[in-house]
Amino acid sequence: MGSLDGIITGFQTAFSLEAILFVIIGVFVGTIIGMLPGLGPISAIAVMIPMTFGMDPATALIMMAGVYYGAIFGGSTSSILLNAPGVSGAVATSFDGYPMAQQGKAGKALAIAAIASFTGGTVSVVLLMLLAPALSSVAVSFGPAAYFALMLLGLTAIASLSEGSTIKALISAVAGFMVVTIGIDAQTGTQRFTFGNMNLLEGLDFLVIALGLFAIAEVCSLVLNRKDKSVKDTHNIGSLKLDKQDLKDMSGPMTRHSFLGFILGVLPGAGATIASFISYIFEKRLSKNPDEFGKGSVKGLAAPETANNAATSGAFVPLLSLGIPGSGTTAVMLGAFLVLGVQPGPMLMTDRPEIFWGVIASMYIGNIFLLIINLPLIPYFAKILKIPRPLLISLVIVFSMIGVYAISFNTFDLYMLLLFGVIGFLMRLFSFPAPPFILAFILGGMLEQSLRQAMTISNGSLSIFLDDKIALGLLILALLSFVFPLLKQLRKNKEKAAEA
Amino acid sequence: MKKLLLPAALGLSMMLAACGSDDGASGNAESGGGEFKPTESIEIVAPAGAGGGWDTTARMAAKVLQEEEIIDGKIGVTNKEGGGGAVGWSYIANYEGNPHKLFVTSPPMIFIPLNGQSEYDHEDFTPIANVIADYAAFAVREDAKWQDLNELFEDMKKDPASITVVGTSSPGSMDHMQFVQIAKAAGVDITKIKYVSAQDAGGMTQLLNGSVDVYSTGVAETVEQVKAGKVRVLGVTSEERLEGEVLEDFPTAKEQGIDETFINWRGFFGPADLEPAAVEYYEEKFKELSDSEAFAEIREQFGWNEMYLDSEEYKAFLDEQREDIQVLLDELGLAK
Repeated sequence: MGSLDGIITGFQTAFSLEAILFVIIGVFVGTIIGMLPGLGPISAIAVMIPMTFGMDPATALIMMAGVYYGAIFGGSTSSILLNAPGVSGAVATSFDGYPMAQQGKAGKALAIAAIASFTGGTVSVVLLMLLAPALSSVAVSFGPAAYFALMLLGLTAIASLSEGSTIKALISAVAGFMVVTIGIDAQTGTQRFTFGNMNLLEGLDFLVIALGLFAIAEVCSLVLNRKDKSVKDTHNIGSLKLDKQDLKDMSGPMTRHSFLGFILGVLPGAGATIASFISYIFEKRLSKNPDEFGKGSVKGLAAPETANNAATSGAFVPLLSLGIPGSGTTAVMLGAFLVLGVQPGPMLMTDRPEIFWGVIASMYIGNIFLLIINLPLIPYFAKILKIPRPLLISLVIVFSMIGVYAISFNTFDLYMLLLFGVIGFLMRLFSFPAPPFILAFILGGMLEQSLRQAMTISNGSLSIFLDDKIALGLLILALLSFVFPLLKQLRKNKEKAAEA
Repeated sequence: MKKLLLPAALGLSMMLAACGSDDGASGNAESGGGEFKPTESIEIVAPAGAGGGWDTTARMAAKVLQEEEIIDGKIGVTNKEGGGGAVGWSYIANYEGNPHKLFVTSPPMIFIPLNGQSEYDHEDFTPIANVIADYAAFAVREDAKWQDLNELFEDMKKDPASITVVGTSSPGSMDHMQFVQIAKAAGVDITKIKYVSAQDAGGMTQLLNGSVDVYSTGVAETVEQVKAGKVRVLGVTSEERLEGEVLEDFPTAKEQGIDETFINWRGFFGPADLEPAAVEYYEEKFKELSDSEAFAEIREQFGWNEMYLDSEEYKAFLDEQREDIQVLLDELGLAK
């Protein structure tokens, strides 16, 4: 059976009444879960597994896939409105989404996020359909050396994430690196910086840090500035309508990051979070007005929102075509497949085309429904901002705590959340930017582990980075990305000197 | 604070009273020799996050126990994640003698304490019943030069630096030790084995792209790649050949003249000092679970094998396991 027949079978499966009903349920549940900080798609899918027992496997998987990409779609809402990312893939969304909401343009920000998510989701499904079989080899082409180079490329972005003092941005990043080393070291099994505390053995969860540095720190600032009249504007939701200029601004990033996000999603371990950061940085580098970024830029919002949704579809490439889960969520999805008697792997496409193509085809429908569900609800979501400030602040604290507690039902994490809230607040007071900290925390773990894996494999010889062509290419890119802004700066300084 | 506590305490005592009134008995089961029957809902702890092996085992067992009405009453599965299991274990350790708290565990119950990452080991709990066995498989790429384990181990003896083994867990834990155990029996100098740990299913990726040479993993993880002709399984660690399509083609280490096995066992424990009647009750129920058709179906779905051990057999088995692993960890210099 050729793959065209398979695609047709897939569409037939996906367009059955039952499948459509369950994809709607899936994306709806996903949107809600994504919006609530902490409750991620992992726990939602795991809890659903026993419920799907006995269901038609294609339908059940279509629903669970819906929960997954629905959560990434919905994750932007709380990032934009409350600066409290609902899922880790939505942290970069808050960089420009939250400032936009503060400027009284919450409605517009949510609309941009919804349209960017829809575009990223849909374009990447097309890519998934066309390229899934071909891309399976790309998914495994990255060895440890190449991952190290990719992480290094991501790190060169620290400079772009900093406003003001580069030194302060670097200090913030170093702190992020230090924090990520807490826990059992995978390569030796040694405990690092756990101080004999069992709760630190597995290190700190990303959401504890993100919610602490962003949501809790924001709450502290709001309390401190409560007499400041200018903040009152946030009660305004503003119009949902996007003008021509907005659409023009969005079209570039949406096109670019549908592709970039998808490719990064294909790589196991990279995923939506890393894709959204790299896209954000990439877009800032391309921009003629990089100063707008972080202050409510349309491009800065559209880029990560497109990329994280595109990456989610990308993550299905290794899962469906190789049976390799690239992230925690896809690992749980793999478990769901097994429970339903379906073994994802290289044979899935020929053995069970209705499932392989059915899940992919259902994503078109899922993305359309996500747009339909999300757009009309925006005015209602945005009303959150009309809640009186003291109440809203309390709600943010409560939701952040519930979210963190839901990660592992451990009260220790709550203390850590508060600790990072205080750290985040102090960082604001002394204008140390938080994004480099988060970026280093995300990339640092894989950067270190892949470097050491590579070094073990090569018996300590650095030549592994030259022999691995992908690694070499990425290292050159990283070098350029590092040197160009420096040259630019030098030229500027010279011009200034000449003028003076 | 007091204002809050009072209604909470009232609510709790009312709930307890309601539970107790079900069968007239209150709270604890009668002491000594008598029949045991759960008097409140049973909590099965998976000492890991949702979706992993422990979680799946706990949820599937709870489902069958209830749906097949093997245990009459409510069973809830909770996740206590952290420290590779240590967080869940210390939670259970608080419930000494409580017959309504169980947990699911597997070889990390041996490895983690020996690696100094948990103050509790299997002796601080009551092993109730083992239900499942799984085995390790050592896979290489289809185009690798080794056709069987002996060829691989010969090369490892000659030039240990040229071969990299990958697994998901850190050194001293399961994926590493299962390989070490077999390699040792084949006469390899285990202190020279080059092992890297790759999280998030990175092991298969690194094997397929040629970064590493051998992937030490569970049998089930290899099946699809073998079917697709991408990897070859040089050996599995079961006593006899496994059953099932593809699985039956995997040679055991034993039949290749390496006299060693490794079992990834999985079973249920309770807190310390359980009364004998409660242990007996659960032994019986887990035996019924293990023999049920519904659970057999689940075993097949996940590629698990049946391995029932009652409390006494289980304890002896675990003591022996620990001794074996201790010797290997000492030699590797990883013991704490």
